[in-house]
Amino acid sequence: MNELKGGIIPSKTGIRETIIDLIEKSVDKGIFDAVIIPMKVPSGDSFVYVLVKDKKLLKDGFPLAPTMLVQGAKAVSSVTRLGKGNMKIAAIIRPCEARATVELAKLGQADLDNVTIISIDCPGVLPTSDFLEDPDKYLKKFDDAYKNWDDKIMRPVCQICDKSSMVTGDLHIGTLGAKKDTCFIISNSEKGDSVAEKLDINLNQNLDSWNSKVKAISEEKKKKRIKAHKELKSTVSGLDNLVETFSQCINCHNCMRVCPVCICRLCYFDSDKVKHTAEDYLTRAESKGSMRFLPDTTLFQMGRMMHMSISCVSCGNCEDACSMDIPVGQIFSMIADETQALFDYVSGRSLDEPIPLVAYKKEELHQMEDAND
Amino acid sequence: MTKALKLNKSAEEGILEFLKYLLESGKVKGVFTLKRISKNSAIAYSLITNPDELKDAVPFYPLMPVNAGKLMSRFTLKEGAKKPVAAILKPCELRGFIELIKREQGTLDNLYIISSICGGVFPSRTEVDRSAEKKLPKYWESVKKGEISPDLRSVCKACEEFIPYTADITFDLLGNNDIDKHSIFYLNTKKGEDLAKDMKGDFSEKEFDRKKLEKINEKRQAEKKKLYDEIGKKMNGIDGLVEIFGRCIGCHGCSKVCPICYCKLCEFESPDSEYSPSNYETELRKRGGIKVPPGTIYFHLGRLTHIGISCVACGQCNDVCPVDIPVADIFKKVGESIQKMFDYVPGKDVEEEIPLVSFKQEEFAEIEE
Amino acid sequence: MERKIGVYICECGPNISEKIDIDKVIDAVSPIEDVAVVEKFKLLCSADGKKFLEEQIKKNSLTHLVVAACSPKDHEKTFMMVCENAELNPYLFQLANIREQCAWITEDKEEATKKAIRLVKAAIGRVKYHSSLEKKEIDSIPDVLVIGGGIAGMEASLQLASKQRNVYLVEKTSDLGGLVKNYEKTFLGMKPISDIIDEKTKKIDSNGNIKVFKDSEVEEAIGFFGNFEIKIKRTNEESEPVEINVGAIVLATGSALFNPDKTPEYGYGKFENVITSLEFEKMNLSGKILLKNNKTPNSVATIHCVGREERGYCSEICCMYSLKFARYLKEKLPNVKVSNFYSDLCIPGKTDQKFFNQTKEKNVGFIRSSNIKLTKKGEQLNIEYDDENKNKQNLLVDMIILSPAMVPNDDATKIAEMTGVSQDDEGFFAEEHEKLNPISTSTEGIYIVGCAKGPKNISDTIVQAEAASGNILSSLIPGKKLEPEVKTSQISESFCIGCKTCLTVCSYGAITFDETKKISVVNEVICRGCGNCVAACPSGAASIKHFKFNQLYQEIKEAVK
Repeated sequence: MNELKGGIIPSKTGIRETIIDLIEKSVDKGIFDAVIIPMKVPSGDSFVYVLVKDKKLLKDGFPLAPTMLVQGAKAVSSVTRLGKGNMKIAAIIRPCEARATVELAKLGQADLDNVTIISIDCPGVLPTSDFLEDPDKYLKKFDDAYKNWDDKIMRPVCQICDKSSMVTGDLHIGTLGAKKDTCFIISNSEKGDSVAEKLDINLNQNLDSWNSKVKAISEEKKKKRIKAHKELKSTVSGLDNLVETFSQCINCHNCMRVCPVCICRLCYFDSDKVKHTAEDYLTRAESKGSMRFLPDTTLFQMGRMMHMSISCVSCGNCEDACSMDIPVGQIFSMIADETQALFDYVSGRSLDEPIPLVAYKKEELHQMEDAND
Repeated sequence: MTKALKLNKSAEEGILEFLKYLLESGKVKGVFTLKRISKNSAIAYSLITNPDELKDAVPFYPLMPVNAGKLMSRFTLKEGAKKPVAAILKPCELRGFIELIKREQGTLDNLYIISSICGGVFPSRTEVDRSAEKKLPKYWESVKKGEISPDLRSVCKACEEFIPYTADITFDLLGNNDIDKHSIFYLNTKKGEDLAKDMKGDFSEKEFDRKKLEKINEKRQAEKKKLYDEIGKKMNGIDGLVEIFGRCIGCHGCSKVCPICYCKLCEFESPDSEYSPSNYETELRKRGGIKVPPGTIYFHLGRLTHIGISCVACGQCNDVCPVDIPVADIFKKVGESIQKMFDYVPGKDVEEEIPLVSFKQEEFAEIEE
Repeated sequence: MERKIGVYICECGPNISEKIDIDKVIDAVSPIEDVAVVEKFKLLCSADGKKFLEEQIKKNSLTHLVVAACSPKDHEKTFMMVCENAELNPYLFQLANIREQCAWITEDKEEATKKAIRLVKAAIGRVKYHSSLEKKEIDSIPDVLVIGGGIAGMEASLQLASKQRNVYLVEKTSDLGGLVKNYEKTFLGMKPISDIIDEKTKKIDSNGNIKVFKDSEVEEAIGFFGNFEIKIKRTNEESEPVEINVGAIVLATGSALFNPDKTPEYGYGKFENVITSLEFEKMNLSGKILLKNNKTPNSVATIHCVGREERGYCSEICCMYSLKFARYLKEKLPNVKVSNFYSDLCIPGKTDQKFFNQTKEKNVGFIRSSNIKLTKKGEQLNIEYDDENKNKQNLLVDMIILSPAMVPNDDATKIAEMTGVSQDDEGFFAEEHEKLNPISTSTEGIYIVGCAKGPKNISDTIVQAEAASGNILSSLIPGKKLEPEVKTSQISESFCIGCKTCLTVCSYGAITFDETKKISVVNEVICRGCGNCVAACPSGAASIKHFKFNQLYQEIKEAVK
């Protein structure tokens, strides 16, 4: 882990304007050629990521949008999957999106050579369905909640997120613990250092107040997380409970498609391997007297969990997109904690840390050996 | 005149009696219909082989968790049914299945199709928030009177295709005031007659009440006009489309639940549709910014082009959209206008070729002029 | 496509016929769809049996063949040959093992028959989904690349060249000879070696079949046994690499010495007159054994096992050459006091004990010691140590020779990655099997010899060099066609998303990445069909021929239905 260095920049008019200002200056100085940044859609009731080159358009940028419909990692991957191109790009995304971006880079789905990831202390993000009820009202609610760092209206996974200030990109805007009308700008890499230097930002400031505030919030969230997971576990543990939890699932696979780390072009569970003959289906139905059709709903969920939980960043986009309101984000996030803990792995923590599936360590999983004694 | 079977049972009981008879007599090895499948009564399609399991079946429940036409395609895609199976499908599900069969994505071999004169379904929201149960009594009242229940999917309210075309048996529901006491099964085909002939009940010759059904159709048409006007206003050129699809996140859920979308790997998910860095650079030279991932409207227009001719307006796409875009409304309107160009009704006749692959010399003469 | 499956059950003498009710099996599988004929035969692997099968295939125009008999290990190839002779693709065939896995494991005829029926049904279910597969043949290149011009590389090169193979010998320094060129004599016989090395070098330089590249390194080595593409570059020069093609590669890159900087208690680099064994060899070869102040030493101590604890292994040769040093010293400086500090002595081999005894007789001191610490005392060096009885002792000497462990070269990892050869825990190149395949590697056609695979003396090194040559000469025959694995992996171009998970888990380097299409591509000639990639691929874009999902699914389904 790199040592974090930070500077302090003025932030009089609000964090969104501060970031836009910073980006505009950077584009002016040629530090970046283009920026991936959220923007309000023409109908005013949603936010999307836009790759912006025109400075005039930058003014409409809306960092720290109240909703996260497209996971920022998907946006970065869309631009850089096939190569790094000639443009120097800044991506203004949330910590969980930055983590997912790092995971995607490891999976060959994003080239970060020309990308500078800029994250920001995140208060959470609203459930989309709430926001769509009354966009203006909920935007105001979000901004109020942001001021007080109050997560009650945020996604369930956001409410128990202990990594909302995790720094894994190049730069990070720290609003917590900052003196009035200022915020921290923290560098985590040489790229970040270079940007700060070109912007004449001194990175030798004391980050103690940010560090301690972040630590305090993280610990409090961690306690909530443990409690929430304990409760959740009791409702989904055991095959009966599991099947019951996913009984309303219609296998639309929305969760899989909005997930930043589900990258397969053709998912195993959409492939020929799960397609069988009428005779096979009938035989199977006969063994129990009736069979839900299509069968294997839970198999899809468990299979997806097995494939991606090692890289899950607990963003909750899956739950947001679920057409049947199944708490899939909370469940997957809970299991992901445990899967990653098995390997002392935190997804997206570092580009240099290989994904456990393809990393062999001799000293690993000894608890499995002992279990057989 | 069609042969019809009448049972002195309510619709709810009558259909179950019939299905029980089908299984117990061995006329079919399995029955495909809606069923309560879990402790908390989630409703899903089920393939039932043991008549005892029918007790949880709810064949005419106004929900469509998945378009059953798509399910029938999956059931018969790798190989047709070798043993007889009866399937209860709603008219649009049946039409979707027929359209898929035309594209080699399924077969009717050994299948008996039972459909109904359909009163429409609730959006799946009502299953999620458990309001479906509460809305049921009002729903059935509307069905009996031949009125449009206010709780239906938008496209159901505007649907004129509520009478199935090619079912072996059609159950009389919409506009039938008598469904609390009697069940009427129209036996449209020889297959349907053979299936029902050993059932204990009253057989007669009966016709659909055309007049009544036309009155219902008028109401539906009025709703359709309202729907088209509303969505038409929003679909004002490219700007209108950009507004409507502004919230679209490219999840492709609409495509995945659509009965007609059957490609293994959608064109818009294949490497062909990916933007390379130079594509982005070129686009940015032309305009100041580009949404990422790009191609939102392109996807929808593309999908319209590919499947619009066969859209049966079932409304699954509306239900699955995580950002509440009225995809079904748009596709119904545009789909219908494409279909009208060829006088084509998707799913009406399995022998009728899809216009895309059929050439008629006398066609589009107006374009020549 | 109409399928006509022929099912033939072998009685295998009494082996199967007495344990399984074959007629019941015939009755059970005859009605299966697509089964055209079911018959039994006394002994299908006999000449008559094979003839019978061939005739049956032709007579019935069979499209698929199922034989229920013994283990595939026994006769799969036999029946595949029958198919070929009958002009039926040999992969449209499945062998059901109803002997080892059925008749031979139970006395219960009823149970055995039931299982046999399942196994035959499973084979029929599977074979329906088989596809024709074609054998491939490629030309092999009989030439060899030898990396490393030390004794191992030189020996291998001369052996191979003597049988008219073209050898490309790449040496990163300016001279051939490796470590051995620094020695005056070899231990045991105390025979002079440098002349021999000079002679070998001359032989190599004058051998028309050996092309030597000095001051050069191999930059790239891709390909497979019989066809490697190599790029050789002169180090420190901006020149175009030389491209050659060879059929096999011998890694004879030798080793380095443990750096005593890491064990500061020995004072290396801190005190003058503390030198390593290699430095002493060079000094001895030059003819003058001198201290830094140009005086001759009166007392010399050799410290064994420097770095042994840190590395965790014994380097085999250091005790013996430390004895050799004692001999050098006694030969050249008759009055010198020589002491050898050791913790354990490693003197294996049939003549080593004698060599040790003779050395001892020359008044060489052998001190079993621990906790050695060196300090400077005036012009001399003081060795403080614990003796055998754990008493603290001191010895003043003029010069100290350290015998450090042998460790892999700095570029071992680079070479390993370049060639796809594994490294063991210590960093040396790893052999395919430490007992049974000691010089081949998991990459067919790449051999590791000499100290590159671990500390080694000269005779063992020569043995390995000869072994590699022998192996190459017998398996890489000029004009020989190679038949790579048929049942290889395939990666669907449209479904691969380019996450490289398969690439990471492929042990054979058979998967490369197409940077333009951003997909993984299998080299079907190197692929061994192990299936790691298929297991690792989350979407199923990777699959193995002849072990496709459907084939396995149908087999299992029929077996357990």
